[in-house]
Amino acid sequence: MSEQGLEKVLEVKDLVTRFHGEGGVATAVNSVSFDVWKGKTLGIVGESGSGKSVTALSIMRLIPSPPGKIEEGQILLRGQNILDLKESEMRGIRGNKISMIFQEPMTSLNPVFTVGNQIEEVLHLHQKDLLSKADRTDKAIEMLHLVGIPSPEKRVSEYPHQLSGGMRQRVMIAMALACGPDILIADEPTTALDVTIQAQILELMNKLQDDLGMSIILITHDLGVVAETCHEVAVMYCGQIVEFADVHTLFSSPSHPYTKGLLESIPSFDSTVDKKEGRLPTIEGMVPSLFDLPPGCSFQNRCFNVSQKCRGSESPPSEKLEKNHIIRCFHPVENQGERTHP
Amino acid sequence: MNIWIYILRRTLYIIPILVGVTFLIFVLFHLVAGDPTYLLLGKHASVSQMEALRTELGLDRPWFVQYWDVLKSSFTFDFGRSWASKQNILDMVKQGAIPSLTLTLPAFIIGLFLSIAISLFVSFHRGKPIDRVVVFITVALMSFPSLAYILFGQYFFGYKWGLFEISGYEFGFPYFIPYVILPGMIWVAVSLGPDVRFFRTLMLDEIYQDYVRTARSKGMTERAVLFKHVLKNAMIPIITHVMNQIPFLFLGSLLLESFFGIPGLGSLILEALNNNDFPTIKAMAVLIAVIYTFFNLVMDILYTVVDPRVRLG
Repeated sequence: MSEQGLEKVLEVKDLVTRFHGEGGVATAVNSVSFDVWKGKTLGIVGESGSGKSVTALSIMRLIPSPPGKIEEGQILLRGQNILDLKESEMRGIRGNKISMIFQEPMTSLNPVFTVGNQIEEVLHLHQKDLLSKADRTDKAIEMLHLVGIPSPEKRVSEYPHQLSGGMRQRVMIAMALACGPDILIADEPTTALDVTIQAQILELMNKLQDDLGMSIILITHDLGVVAETCHEVAVMYCGQIVEFADVHTLFSSPSHPYTKGLLESIPSFDSTVDKKEGRLPTIEGMVPSLFDLPPGCSFQNRCFNVSQKCRGSESPPSEKLEKNHIIRCFHPVENQGERTHP
Repeated sequence: MNIWIYILRRTLYIIPILVGVTFLIFVLFHLVAGDPTYLLLGKHASVSQMEALRTELGLDRPWFVQYWDVLKSSFTFDFGRSWASKQNILDMVKQGAIPSLTLTLPAFIIGLFLSIAISLFVSFHRGKPIDRVVVFITVALMSFPSLAYILFGQYFFGYKWGLFEISGYEFGFPYFIPYVILPGMIWVAVSLGPDVRFFRTLMLDEIYQDYVRTARSKGMTERAVLFKHVLKNAMIPIITHVMNQIPFLFLGSLLLESFFGIPGLGSLILEALNNNDFPTIKAMAVLIAVIYTFFNLVMDILYTVVDPRVRLG
C-alpha cells in the first residue's frame, strides 16, 4: 500500500495493546498495521473506545503500565523498532522525533509555568548542547510566531490561563514542532474548539506540514476533518482497522458496512437524509464492550449485511481490495457510482 | 495590580480582623468569667478589699477603656502582669516559646520533608506493592492513639534502653537537644500518617492531569515530571496545610509538654487555666489570633508567588 517515490517514516506492524483490568483483558489495539509517509497525513477515525488514542499512545510508548501493555507487533521509525528501545532511548524520541498534541488545550499546558518556559523545556531536553538559554528563548518566540500567535515576544512570558483555547492549541503545536519532529500525532486536536477555530487550527497544521515536511497522524471522529486534511484514512472499530484507503477511495467507494454507515450519518445535501422522518441515518446498536467481544466479526451486531459466517469463530482477515484499499469484512459493500465529498 | 500594593492592602485587612477577635475575647471573658475579685480574694473578703483590688486591676474603668487595653495589646504585645506569678506576661511567653519551638519546629520541618518525600516516592510507584505497603503503614500509624506513642516511647526508649531523657528541659544550645529528641520523634511519628496520606492524594490528583501527560510526551523523565510539574502544582494545598499548622507550633503540644515536663507554652496555658490567671489566658488568646492572621497573610502572599492564576484583586 505505497504511494510511489515516497519515504516511509513510520511503519506499524501487527500492533497489539492490551489492558489487564480486574474485569478481564481488553484488547484495545488488535493487530493494527499501517504506514506513515513523509509529508503526508494519515487519519485514524473511529468512535470513542475504538482504540485510536491507544494506538497513538502506543506509538509514543506512553501507555499507562500497569494496566496497559504493548504485547505484540513492531513500530518501526525509519526502520528501527522503537519497541526494542530502552526507556531512556525512547525519551530521546518523544518530543524530538515523534511529538504529540492532545484534545484538551485548556488543560494540556501546565498552568504554573509560562508558555515560553514550556516550549524551552522541550528544547532543553533534546537540544541542550546545540542551543544556549538565550537561543532557546529566541527559538520559543520563533515557534510562537510560526504558529501564528500575534506579538510572540510578549506572549512568550504569559501563562496558559491568559490565552484562549485556540491560542493554547497553537502553543501546543509550537511546543510539539520545536525540535522539528518527523511525525506529529494529533489526538483530536480540534474537538474541544469552536468551529471557526477548528478550521484555523487545521489550516495551520496543513500549512506547517507543507513548510516543514513532517508527517501527521490525525486522530479524529470527525469525517469532515478527515476530508479536509488527510491523504490516507484508517477506520478503526473495536481495536481493529476495518478499512484502510486513500481519502478519495474511502469517500467515493466505502466498502466496509461500518464506513458506509459513518459516511451516511454525515449531514449533507444528498438524498441520504430520510425525507419522511427528516432524520439522519444512524448505525443501530452499541459498540460492544472490549471485555466481551463476540466471536467472529466485532461489527456483527450492528451490520446490515451480517451472515452466519460473520458470527462464526473466525474474525474477518485483512484483505486487499485494490492496491491501497484494505478491508476486514466477509461481505464488502459493492459500490456503484461516485459519492461526492461531504 | 502591583504586588506591594496587594501586600499593603492585605495587611490592612488584619486590622478589622483583630478588632473583631479581641472584642470577642473581651466579651467572652466578661460574660463567662464573672468577677475575678472573688476568685482572687476568696469568699471572706471585705467590700473595701474588693474595691481596692478592682481599682488595682483597672476593673473599675468603663468597659470600652478596658477593651481598648485588649485591642492595644494585640499591637504592642503589652499584656501586663500575671495574677498568679506577678511576672510580666510577655516575658513569660518569650520564656515559654523557646522550649515549645525547639521541640515543635525541628520536628515539624523534619516531618514535613519526610512526608513530602515519601508521598512523592509512592506517587512515583503508584499502584505497585510498595505503594500499598506504605498506605497500609500510614493507616496503622494513624490508628494508634498519640498517648500510646508517648507511653511506649517513654517506656522503651527512655526507661528500658535509656537512650533519651524523658523529663525536663535545659535552656541553651546544645543542652536542650537530649530533651527534645524523643518527644520530637513522637511528633513526627504522629504527624507522618495523616500527612503522607494527604500529600499522596494531592500528588495523585495532579499526576493524572493532562499537562503531566504533555510533559511525558516531551520526553521528560518521570522523576523530572514529578519534581518540576507535579510538585509545583501541588504547592498550593501544601502551603495551606503548612501555614495552618505553624500557629500551633508556637502553642507547643499540650500533651507532649506535660508528659515530658517541658516548660513550654502548652504548660504555660495549662497552668494559667488552673490558676484562673485571666490576663495570661487572655494574652495567649490574643497572641494566637495575631500569629494566625499573620501566617494567613504570609500564605496569601505565597499563593501569588506559586500560582500565576491567583489574581492580585
